Amino acid sequence: MSAALLAPLGLAALAALLVPLLIHLARRDRQRPIDFAALRWLEPRPKPHRRPHLDERALLVARLLLLTLLALALARPALLGGRGAGTWLLVAPGADPAAARAQAPKGAQARWLAPGFPNLGQSAPEEAASISSLLRELDADLPRGARLIVAVPAALQGVDAERPRLSRDVDWRVQPQTAPPAPPRPPSSPTSAHAGPQAPTPDQAADQAAVQTLVLRAAPELEAGARYVKAAAEAWSPSATAAAPDAGPLSAPLPNAARAIAWLAPGPLPVAVRDRVAGGAVVLLPVEATVDGLGPATPLWRDAEGRVLAEGGGLGRGRWRRFTRPLTSEAMPEVLQPDFPARLAALLSNPPPPPALVEARAYHPLVGAAAGSPSPQDLTPIMALMVAVLFAVERWLATRPQRADTP
Amino acid sequence: MPPAGPPPLLPPDVRHRLQGLKLRARRAAGSASGIHASRNRGAGLEFAQHRAYEPGDEPRLVDWKLYARSDRLFVREAERESPLTLWILLDASGSMGQADGARPDWTRLDAAKALAAGLAQMALAGGDSFGWATLAGDRPHLLAPGAGGRHRDRLWLELATLKAAGGFPSAAQWAPLWSRIGAHDLVVLLSDVFDPKTIDLAGRLAGAGREVLAIRLLTVEERDFPFRGAQRFRDPETGEELPGDGLQLRADFLRRFGEARARIGAELDTRGVRHVEYVLDEPLDAPLRRLFGGKA
Repeated sequence: MSAALLAPLGLAALAALLVPLLIHLARRDRQRPIDFAALRWLEPRPKPHRRPHLDERALLVARLLLLTLLALALARPALLGGRGAGTWLLVAPGADPAAARAQAPKGAQARWLAPGFPNLGQSAPEEAASISSLLRELDADLPRGARLIVAVPAALQGVDAERPRLSRDVDWRVQPQTAPPAPPRPPSSPTSAHAGPQAPTPDQAADQAAVQTLVLRAAPELEAGARYVKAAAEAWSPSATAAAPDAGPLSAPLPNAARAIAWLAPGPLPVAVRDRVAGGAVVLLPVEATVDGLGPATPLWRDAEGRVLAEGGGLGRGRWRRFTRPLTSEAMPEVLQPDFPARLAALLSNPPPPPALVEARAYHPLVGAAAGSPSPQDLTPIMALMVAVLFAVERWLATRPQRADTP
Repeated sequence: MPPAGPPPLLPPDVRHRLQGLKLRARRAAGSASGIHASRNRGAGLEFAQHRAYEPGDEPRLVDWKLYARSDRLFVREAERESPLTLWILLDASGSMGQADGARPDWTRLDAAKALAAGLAQMALAGGDSFGWATLAGDRPHLLAPGAGGRHRDRLWLELATLKAAGGFPSAAQWAPLWSRIGAHDLVVLLSDVFDPKTIDLAGRLAGAGREVLAIRLLTVEERDFPFRGAQRFRDPETGEELPGDGLQLRADFLRRFGEARARIGAELDTRGVRHVEYVLDEPLDAPLRRLFGGKA
């Protein structure tokens, strides 16, 4: 833990210390001379020893302290590295705390590897969170010299797709698989953890259902291209007897429940449709549509040569997808391919989450990240309190009755 | 009875303690009692009254001729013809205005005024006449000797307005003193006697046949030098200033000032001037008691 000043220029206010010093010194020159008739027997010293004489020393000290504190408060002092150095033992949920503690050196701070880093004495945290994110957070918060021991179960859930890169070497202790692993908990957020890439999650299933109710609105000049999309939407239907997709001109009203909209019109996106997207829907746009103001686009579909066929991005809670070529068989032969409906469905649905279950042995964090600067703890409230107390003391000293006249 | 003046120059307790004191001049006493035997054996020369004999009266004071005529015992009382004229020389130069920091309303001049009032009181009690001169500025201010309560009131009135200012008059301005102060007069000088001219005046008066007494008034600060830290000292007469650290100056000043006091005392002794020192924190009657209380 170390102290730092967030605004060191505030220390220039220390120059104000001169003011009380001058006030307490100046009285000396105003001192009245003493009538002394026996002056002829006073030996004039060649160099009268002029020691700086300060009056009211207690008051002066109080005033100097007050000004110093004020200047310090202006410089915004802060404590860096809220957590102490030493050895830290982190136990990931699912690992055995007793076994981890037995291996750790004495005096180590034992915490759960969970949000807030609760003490190991508490019960195992229920909430699942990304272990990689927690590791990075702790690594950034700990001071440089701290040693980190992490006890993990044999298999880790909720990790990033790559090994975390930390600023320090981590003592990575993988516990042998003794007990059957806890059943995977449902992840708290859609992007955090998934049991595996194969099994579709309820979210994906819902997406799939939403895509199947694609609402198609096409401008007259794009009717030709709209046929391919409509055909793909019909192909998604589970049976031939199902209702045909809702297709119509641009002026046709959009059903409220529409979660997938193919808006095949040139020019910018109308505000009504845009609001739908921001509310959570996905919109499919032709190459003629302009996407200014919809945010950055990333390529989502490449052909065999690697050329981008479709791009897309997020908007509010929803998404937008746009073809980069005209929907003709000449410009985009893929529309004739048998897998076009599946490709289109994949384009409109959520991107599959990265694999998140990993064998702990292979997830030893790498070393080499830049050391994080721990978030400083602002000391201004404490300083303000001290300044107030000192001000009260100064006033009391300055106004007490048994005081000399000035200053 | 003293007039009910605003500031009592002489505190009542001091006045009370002064009652037992009498002005005494060595030469005057010698000349009054005479050397040869005389038919007049009374205390004085001039007959004043007869009064009835009381037990304890000296038999030689009884007027035996009157007893032969009247068959009753009478005591012959003589009024002593006072040979004594008291001159109070009051130094009113600037240095007399100095007071102590601890008691700023009690200057050297205030003490001198009170002593002058005390001396006048003593002269009044003894039936002696007294005059005074204030020595400051260009020429001395004199009032001719006189006796009685009215003369004392005149002194009090003048003292009430007297301020300390200027320097001690030079020798050329002493001429009125020579013409007014007669031989065998008793002269009491109230001064700090720092100025060599003061010593010179007292010495010359003593050398010319006057009996000169001096009360040297010192302030407490001059005796103790209680200053601490940096101070500026100023001579009230010349205006000269001297900065210095009180503690550093102290030892040296006390040594040099002690030597100077001894030297002034020795010089006054040499020139026939009796003198006492009075420091402002002493009781007012102390110097008078030392001058007139003991066996003359």
